[in-house]
Amino acid sequence: MQRLVFKVLPGLALLLWSDFILAADAISGASERQAVNPIAIGMFLLFVAFTLYVTWWASKSTKTSSTFYNAGGQITGAQNGLAIAGDFMSAASFLGITGLMYVGGFDGLILSLGAFGAWPVFMFLFAKRVRNLGNFTFIDVISQRLDRDPIRLVTAFSTILIVIMYLIAQMVGAGTLIQLLFGLPYEWALLLVSVLVLAYVAFGGMLATTWVQIIKAGLLLTGVTLIAGLLLADSGFSFSNLLGKATANHPGGDSILRAGSIFDDPVQILTIQMSMLFGTVGLPHILMRLFTVPDMHQAKLSAYYASLFIGYFYIALLVLGFGSIAYVAGNPEFFNDQGKLIGGSNMAAIHVATAMGGDILTGFMSAVCFATILAVVAGLTLSGAAAISHDVYAEVLKKGKPDPKTELRLTRISVLLIGFAAVSLGIAFQHENIAFIATIPMVVSASVTFPILFLSLFWKDFTTKGALYGAGVGLVSSIVLIVLGPQVWVSVLGNVEALFPYDYPALFTMPASVLVMVIISLQDRSERGSIDRENYDRLLVRSEFGPSVTEAAET
Amino acid sequence: MTDANIEAVQRKTRQRLLFTGIHLVLYFSFTLNWTSWGERLGGYLGETRLTGSLLMFVVLVLTFIALETIFLVLSRREAQ
Repeated sequence: MQRLVFKVLPGLALLLWSDFILAADAISGASERQAVNPIAIGMFLLFVAFTLYVTWWASKSTKTSSTFYNAGGQITGAQNGLAIAGDFMSAASFLGITGLMYVGGFDGLILSLGAFGAWPVFMFLFAKRVRNLGNFTFIDVISQRLDRDPIRLVTAFSTILIVIMYLIAQMVGAGTLIQLLFGLPYEWALLLVSVLVLAYVAFGGMLATTWVQIIKAGLLLTGVTLIAGLLLADSGFSFSNLLGKATANHPGGDSILRAGSIFDDPVQILTIQMSMLFGTVGLPHILMRLFTVPDMHQAKLSAYYASLFIGYFYIALLVLGFGSIAYVAGNPEFFNDQGKLIGGSNMAAIHVATAMGGDILTGFMSAVCFATILAVVAGLTLSGAAAISHDVYAEVLKKGKPDPKTELRLTRISVLLIGFAAVSLGIAFQHENIAFIATIPMVVSASVTFPILFLSLFWKDFTTKGALYGAGVGLVSSIVLIVLGPQVWVSVLGNVEALFPYDYPALFTMPASVLVMVIISLQDRSERGSIDRENYDRLLVRSEFGPSVTEAAET
Repeated sequence: MTDANIEAVQRKTRQRLLFTGIHLVLYFSFTLNWTSWGERLGGYLGETRLTGSLLMFVVLVLTFIALETIFLVLSRREAQ
């Protein structure tokens, strides 16, 4: 029997985002191109055919910028909740978290709780207020109160930075994953992803993007339910029995059922939690989904349903994670001649599908993983295109009065440019250590987007000047601390010891950004500062009751 | 803006911040698992292989959903 090697890859502990763990194995060289899987390809082609039909249907009603950005506000709360959940139940969540649990048991759950914990905050603080104040992007919300041109430019810049960095990580992960699952060459995989995403987004806009996400989320939930059900059935419907099999199979034994297998520093855990929670809440492509529903009640319901679906998904992954140790570890079918898990730890989830459901379940889950990549990349592309065409062109350059046809054309051109950039950068970074690129979106989102959005909605004294200085501090400190941290200073630049010990500096950068925003706003005695403060009460009432109540009160 | 409107919104704001505060305290309490204070969480529950740490994960997920449900019900009641 081949010996199972449980080894925490040097980069793995540094790559904690579920969305980016795929890239970790690409970096570590653990990926191996697999044989062509005809069942997976057949199922994937079915998915593509169906989603292209949905795109054709959506394109008939995507004729204006409004329908392009927000699907005409016709998505229900439950549908939108499933779409939001789909944005986070990515291939990487499924493969990455299961893979991390396969390696370290309980410690892998920090990713699950981190990703899930954001949604209640999203609902309590933002869902209703953002929906009531914005039209297409979250930048609409803050520019209602603060000086629109500078604040739009700064936040549009941070949005585009987040989207591009997120896309690079997704594309490198996608190329590697598709190579693993389907046996397709890396470059062809990226091209295929890009062409399909461009078709969804350029022709079907938000309506097609949302439905692709809904279909994929439904398939993914079905798949994990099936695997979890089969695992529990084989353990006599006893989770305790499953845990017993897992501890017997893992060299760590009982220790995998408690904290400490991978991480031992509570500050590291805190900063991961901080980055995941506030970073997720501030992600532009997630916030943009709040505008696809007809009213504030549906917006709240969206967040609620998203929580239900994501909560269920992560509890199912708890079963899959320990199930992968119980049924994959020690099974020679899943190990190569060197005694290593075929495809690396990220493939543990696919291997457990094979162990439970044979080739058909493997093909189904592989096709679902490919579909999740398409759906997530489509959402990101749309969000980046909206920042360029709506926030910069329509609102800043054309002062809110653009030619609708030109704006729509520019949106589609932006989609093409982002798609081209995604493929080019995905190929350029194929053999690079992209760990730091994967970290930037979450930390920048937590240190720039979240504080600006939160303070503009909840603090009367917040001013444009405070927002701009704070955003600058948040952005610069995030980049500097990531560069000085282990991911760049040690892994990329080859130094022996990092100057800053943590990979995810949000525990330090977010408070720094908020502190600067508060101090500068309190010191701000400018005329613009007074306007920003005066705008608050009007904004506050509108954010809770909607535009109709505010307009009635003003007449 | 009427004072009644602003008062209503301020009340709602306090409620939002209270729910967020409770959520954040619970959320960050998960870190206890990696400290000496959380050692007891590593123990087994009765005769099962389930540890306090694993139970805490599931309970936290369910509590967050319960918090959201209460928030939603309160909001609906106020709207009526």
